[in-house]
Amino acid sequence: MNAPDRYERFVVPEGTKKVSYERDTKIVNAASFTIEREDHTIGNIVRMQLHRDPNVLFAGYKLPHPLQYKIIVRIHTTSQSSPTQAYTQAINDLDKELEYLKQAFEDEKTRYEERAKQGF
Amino acid sequence: MDRPAAGASYQRFPRVRIRELRDDYAKFELRDTDASIANALRRVMIAEVPTVAIDLVEIEVNSSVLNDEFIAHRLGLIPLTSAAAMQMRFSRDCDACDGDGSCEYCSVEFLLSARATDSDQTLEVTANDLRSADPKVCPVDQARAYQQALNADYDTNAGEQRGILIVKLRRGQELRLRAIARKGIGKDHAKWSPAATVTFMYEPDIRINEELMDTLTLDEKRSWVESSPTKVFHLDPITKQVTVCDAEAYTYDDEVIKKAEAMGKPGLVEINAKEDSFIFTVETTGAITAYELIMNAITVLRQKLDAVRLQDDDGDLGELGAHLGGP
Repeated sequence: MNAPDRYERFVVPEGTKKVSYERDTKIVNAASFTIEREDHTIGNIVRMQLHRDPNVLFAGYKLPHPLQYKIIVRIHTTSQSSPTQAYTQAINDLDKELEYLKQAFEDEKTRYEERAKQGF
Repeated sequence: MDRPAAGASYQRFPRVRIRELRDDYAKFELRDTDASIANALRRVMIAEVPTVAIDLVEIEVNSSVLNDEFIAHRLGLIPLTSAAAMQMRFSRDCDACDGDGSCEYCSVEFLLSARATDSDQTLEVTANDLRSADPKVCPVDQARAYQQALNADYDTNAGEQRGILIVKLRRGQELRLRAIARKGIGKDHAKWSPAATVTFMYEPDIRINEELMDTLTLDEKRSWVESSPTKVFHLDPITKQVTVCDAEAYTYDDEVIKKAEAMGKPGLVEINAKEDSFIFTVETTGAITAYELIMNAITVLRQKLDAVRLQDDDGDLGELGAHLGGP
């Protein structure tokens, strides 16, 4: 029938960019990033990471409609930084944090098995 | 205002402590990060870690009491061992086949053939009757039975390993089919979700005001301790001291706080959620181990982050253009 394909929820349609960027025309150092086929998982961690950056004056995201599979991240920074720079930095930091977390898990698993062997 | 130069890192270094780790269960503490990361991990574990599940069924003969699509649906819900799923391809972007899911990179074929012949007994067709073309991918209880046979475990109760029931056949009825299992994620259909439950809670920080507690009589202490719906506090019958015996049993229900107020002792206890400390409980369907689920979730989340990086041809150039000849 006319049901949309299930994969439309997570496959970026051909000819569409995963991330598009639009500068605010009225405010300097403000911009909106439209991220296709992402949801709260990415939106919320990026937003919270941006909040850790003191050069970011505003960071927020919205999921405009539950059936439009995209999010919009809005960033406003000081003149020391720029939305693209803050955005890229936030993703780099999150990536490094997760890399660290993965290592921490592997190390903790060896320690846990060691503890288990000693009968804890 | 004094702000650090742009480009400084605000990375965190989370700490992990595993409390319990079994094949299909894990309980661990995650510290020094925030709720957004904890929630992202939970969401990815439930909806975006790939597994393999039956997705296409061709029915040759079905004279059972269940109709074809009912059986196809039941087959889809059977958890299959998916340790190799991370390395597999999604059949929609597999180059080796036309997406009909019949190549070794993106799909696994299963055959099932059952016919109730003799006796008056009904024949139970279970997941154990599925024959996989790839030994790496099979119904989880088949895999477990195989493991136990290898280890010759003492404490196996053989009667339990009957497999997931698909349909019951009466004498003369027959079921014969071919099924294709594909890689997928829980976002597409819940049958691909490797998680049975993934939850996290804030670690509570409970402080009893000892001075105020000393002003309570034994009966008051007892009724206060009993006002908590879960057993969080303990009243020592000898020393008559109230202690926290299980902080994590607290469900943030505020009952003990209300009780203290009703007794005219506000501030008897102070309870706060530690905002950077989480206790995770992870249970899997058996498709992958709990440890694999956690590790794969981190990997998948990193891949997602990598996909949302700005490409050179959009953001940066736009900014550069603005600097060069902007309005």
